[in-house]
Amino acid sequence: MTEATDGIPRRAADRQHAPSLARTNWLRVRYPLVSVLAVLALFGAWELATDLFRISPMTLPSPRLMAKSLQTMLAEGYSGRTLGEHIVASLLRTLTGLLAGVGLGVPIGLLMGYSRFVNAALMPGFGFIRPIPPIAFIPLVILWFGIGEVSKILLIFVASFNYTVLASAAGMRSVPEQLVRAGTNLGLTRWQLFTSVMLPAAMPQIFTGIKISIAVSWAVVVAAELIAAQAGLGYIIADAGTFFKTPEVLIGVFIIGAIGLLFEVAITAVERRVLHWQSKA
Amino acid sequence: MDKITVDSVFKSFPPRQRGSEAIVALDNVDLRIAAGEIVCIVGPSGCGKSTLLNLIAGFDTPTGGEIAVNGLPVTGAGPDRIVVFQSPSLFPWMTVMENVTFGPRKRGVPKAEYEAEARGTIEAVGLSRFAGRFPYELSGGMRQRVQIARALVNRPQVLLMDEPFAALDFQNRLVMQELLLRLWERIHPTIFFITHDVEEAIFLGDRVHVMTAAPGRIKAVIDVPFEKPRLIEIVTDPRFVAIKDQVLHLIRSEFERSDRAAEAAESAMRT
Repeated sequence: MTEATDGIPRRAADRQHAPSLARTNWLRVRYPLVSVLAVLALFGAWELATDLFRISPMTLPSPRLMAKSLQTMLAEGYSGRTLGEHIVASLLRTLTGLLAGVGLGVPIGLLMGYSRFVNAALMPGFGFIRPIPPIAFIPLVILWFGIGEVSKILLIFVASFNYTVLASAAGMRSVPEQLVRAGTNLGLTRWQLFTSVMLPAAMPQIFTGIKISIAVSWAVVVAAELIAAQAGLGYIIADAGTFFKTPEVLIGVFIIGAIGLLFEVAITAVERRVLHWQSKA
Repeated sequence: MDKITVDSVFKSFPPRQRGSEAIVALDNVDLRIAAGEIVCIVGPSGCGKSTLLNLIAGFDTPTGGEIAVNGLPVTGAGPDRIVVFQSPSLFPWMTVMENVTFGPRKRGVPKAEYEAEARGTIEAVGLSRFAGRFPYELSGGMRQRVQIARALVNRPQVLLMDEPFAALDFQNRLVMQELLLRLWERIHPTIFFITHDVEEAIFLGDRVHVMTAAPGRIKAVIDVPFEKPRLIEIVTDPRFVAIKDQVLHLIRSEFERSDRAAEAAESAMRT
């Protein structure tokens, strides 16, 4: 199908009046351009406001001041570690806990969705833990495992495990009966039915669980680092806050946001590729 | 020999709530279908047509009586009796080709064997150009063609069709009916075809069975004397119209009977 650049399908008759190349290019860039201009305007207004109202840099540093601080942080690091090391510290904790949580959560969730017996045995536990915000466990894990890496990774593990288990179980239970029957009818064994029909059919919900797990894990790691850590993005903003270094706090917050956004973009891209078929049936 | 025998089959489902009675879906159903025959079942909705199909498919077991295919009792579902469902039952993450070859692939049939067969079958249902497409890229009628291809590629002796064309528009339905008869000419499978469209039943069937409203029984069996191959023009043939008239009357009397039964039950509850 022929599509105009702004996504509106064109009819055959319209093709004779196809817009010029210059116009096509303009149509393609106009909205992104608006977005970029809006961001620039925001920073401009921010800069102007801090100047005009003589806002103390401790309350709200101007963008220019923050750019300078960022330069210093990039060059000298923060409290003995480079910015990269802080970022890697946070990422490593998150990914370790996440991988363990998803790796264990998906199979257990699938089993719960498949077997009513397993579900009956495990559901009360998960049902009880699910509504507890993962950060409520921080004092407990510090009590048990100290303030080292173990407690932070454990927290992330618990959070991501919980969400993937419940999502995978729900995904398994919502596999259309018709597809299972079609598979049985074609002569599949129970195992083949599980791996080739039920698992792929449950994939969209499993993916949703993983997406939520990633977002929650990122929030949990920052929270845990706020309370007890010697490195990491959460540590930077907590430490900088204690010493009234507002530019560093804001820079830390921005980096946390940017990485969270990158996670989201990456997982959505993977989802679009793998699950291109979902919600189009 | 009969391909499918249904012998005094009785099927009931447990009551939904405490105090209510068990639901009798099928009451003493007898049916004999010869090899290569096309038998159509019509009846009011809720009369147990689909229940009967599920029992023959082996998705469910009868409460009483016996069902046999090729003289052997049905113990479970299998690729000798492929079901074509009304609602989309294609695997949405597989292409047309992958859907069609799914059964043979999983049963360990060598690729050399099933691939040519699959191509031929996809061509026979007119979808060669769409072999690499996904179901969501196809229209409703095309999806049903894929489902039929996915069934036929297994060379099933029996096709169980559960209102397969009910969701299609009128034109597509006619096209699919003729297509089904053409495909039947190729391998002569035994077809058990459920529909609520009387014209469709007579056009396709060698025999039309009319079922009663719940609990389902076979109310009447009507032979359709037209030779195959049939063309859609026969629907205006006076003999066709006469049969249609007869079937419609049988079904209408069922509606009236079930309405009266409902009224009686209601007034009984009031007193």
